[in-house]
Amino acid sequence: MMEALNGLLTGFAVILTPSNLYLCFLGSLIGTLVGVLPGVGPLAALALLLPVTFTLSPIGGLVMLASIFYGAMYGGSTTSILLNIPGEAASVVTCFDGHQMARQGRAGPALGIAAIGSFIAGTLGVVIMTFFAPAIAAVAIRFGPPENFSLMVLGLVCTLFMISGSTIKGVLMMALGFLTAAVGLDVVNGRERYTFGSVDLSGGVELLAVVIGLFGIAEILSNVETMAKSTLLADRIRGLWPSLADWRASWRPILRGSGLGFVLGLVPGGGPVTAAFMSYALEKRIAAQPDRFGKGAIEGVAGPESANNSAVAGSLIPVLSLGIPSNPVTALLLGALIIQGIQPGPLFIAQRPDLFWGIVASMYIGNVFLLLLNLPLVGLWVQFLRIPYRVMFPVVLLLCVVGTYSANKNVFDLWVMLGFGVAGYVLRKLEYDLAPFVIAFVLAPLLEQSLRQSLVMSPDGAMILIKRPVTALLLAVSVVLTFLMFRRRTKSEGGLP
Amino acid sequence: MFERTLNVFWIVFGAASAVYAWSLGMVGPAGPESGLFPFIASIIVSGAGIVLLLRRAVVAPDFPRGGGLWRVLGVILGLMVMAAEMPYLGFSVTSFITMIILLRTVDRSSWLSAIALAFVSTASVFWLFGQILGMALPRGPWGW
Repeated sequence: MMEALNGLLTGFAVILTPSNLYLCFLGSLIGTLVGVLPGVGPLAALALLLPVTFTLSPIGGLVMLASIFYGAMYGGSTTSILLNIPGEAASVVTCFDGHQMARQGRAGPALGIAAIGSFIAGTLGVVIMTFFAPAIAAVAIRFGPPENFSLMVLGLVCTLFMISGSTIKGVLMMALGFLTAAVGLDVVNGRERYTFGSVDLSGGVELLAVVIGLFGIAEILSNVETMAKSTLLADRIRGLWPSLADWRASWRPILRGSGLGFVLGLVPGGGPVTAAFMSYALEKRIAAQPDRFGKGAIEGVAGPESANNSAVAGSLIPVLSLGIPSNPVTALLLGALIIQGIQPGPLFIAQRPDLFWGIVASMYIGNVFLLLLNLPLVGLWVQFLRIPYRVMFPVVLLLCVVGTYSANKNVFDLWVMLGFGVAGYVLRKLEYDLAPFVIAFVLAPLLEQSLRQSLVMSPDGAMILIKRPVTALLLAVSVVLTFLMFRRRTKSEGGLP
Repeated sequence: MFERTLNVFWIVFGAASAVYAWSLGMVGPAGPESGLFPFIASIIVSGAGIVLLLRRAVVAPDFPRGGGLWRVLGVILGLMVMAAEMPYLGFSVTSFITMIILLRTVDRSSWLSAIALAFVSTASVFWLFGQILGMALPRGPWGW
């Protein structure tokens, strides 16, 4: 307890400098903008701005990236409520009741409860993270390569367990992620794999090109396909502060959403999107009048918006204390840390307390920034919504090109980005979930290294994975989850999973 | 039909990749070799492709037609032009040309508004990333 508080004080000492505060504010601002603008998700924004952070100090860069992530959760509700178009995936459920409230002239309280609920949940999430993450790291610090391997396997199985759609397609995407990561030099012996003599491929496939392609370009292609026109209900914003009746209806969903979101954020494959949907389902299930949902129930805004913000804090714990990303955004954050020469994992808190506690402290401050940015400045964000997508997308496209190119200063990466963009667009049409691909792509080098180190250190080959108790337990849980996953899918689809 | 073809592709791709991974070596005197991990991944790709091919439920993808298809192809073409021309013409000129192509084909903007928007957005991105953030963007023979 005291150790965590001391660490937090260290974090505040690190973050309370003009430059770090500025980067936290800038990240919150960009995150809100990204959340507000449909068609630019937090993942694409993080990927675009990742090269910019190379010129910053590690703490400055990470604070900015993290604040973009949680900032997008705040901003996403604005578009959902006013336009009925989610600014990012975690705000899809906010459309159901938030937009109905706006249609009834209650856009102000809907925006207000979304921002206040986000603030409460975001802050509660960081408070729990403050005490929880070091405890997990303290246990995981005793882990060797076999335990790390089985932990990553469990993380990947959990990701598959949580994905929407076909499990088999998820497995296939994961294996493709492993194969794509295998391109380039072997991490252990430096031998070339899958390069076929290409100099461009010998350095491997660039993470930014993959992520920007799969999530940035594919999103643009989906959006230009329809170019939907929508009605902006911005003229009806009056009185952002919720009424007493609104508070009575919302405080329990906010607290429930905070708890549920945090737990689901922890689980690999969970994260803000799942948390928001689960919170909505929970609120509807326990409501006295479930038929009010979808017709402007404020609980349908308060719960999911709180859940998606709390999930951000939860999802940062596995990546910072174990080195296991729980969703594509945290996979990119893991990539950012590795590029900066930092290896997240059980030793991260002990070796780089300035970085870990700096990020935690920045989240307390960032949540305050975001409350100030989202409530008084909501009128400003509404003005951005007036920019038509047909004007916006070429600029986003240019940003994708700059973001991809700047990683290696290599035009070949633009072709990779385009290839993954088209592939992502087609695969989404065929209901393939792309999250397992990205998580597997980022984890593959670590997973392969752990597996090979485990086999080298074992006199009995793969038996080492069964003989060590923690490894055996983690793998047993993975096997049980896999069994349950396939049984569930087989039952629900009445055939093959 | 499209999904079935893709499933066949996964099977063939996985098999070809497994053969290549096998050639890299599986297990040697020093432990696992470079091919082991990709071999396992390739087998999973092929196996998943077979399961998907045997499945009754097939997704009929909602591919765009008409105007939607042209807009999607316009963006892909614009990006191809950009990737092909950037090493020779530099970032600014390539972006300006690509933006005009996109705004004319995808958005059907007038020539005047396409040129104006292309100029403003290209100059803004070049100024922000190239000048303020100091990123080395590709330059053309004229030095910018």
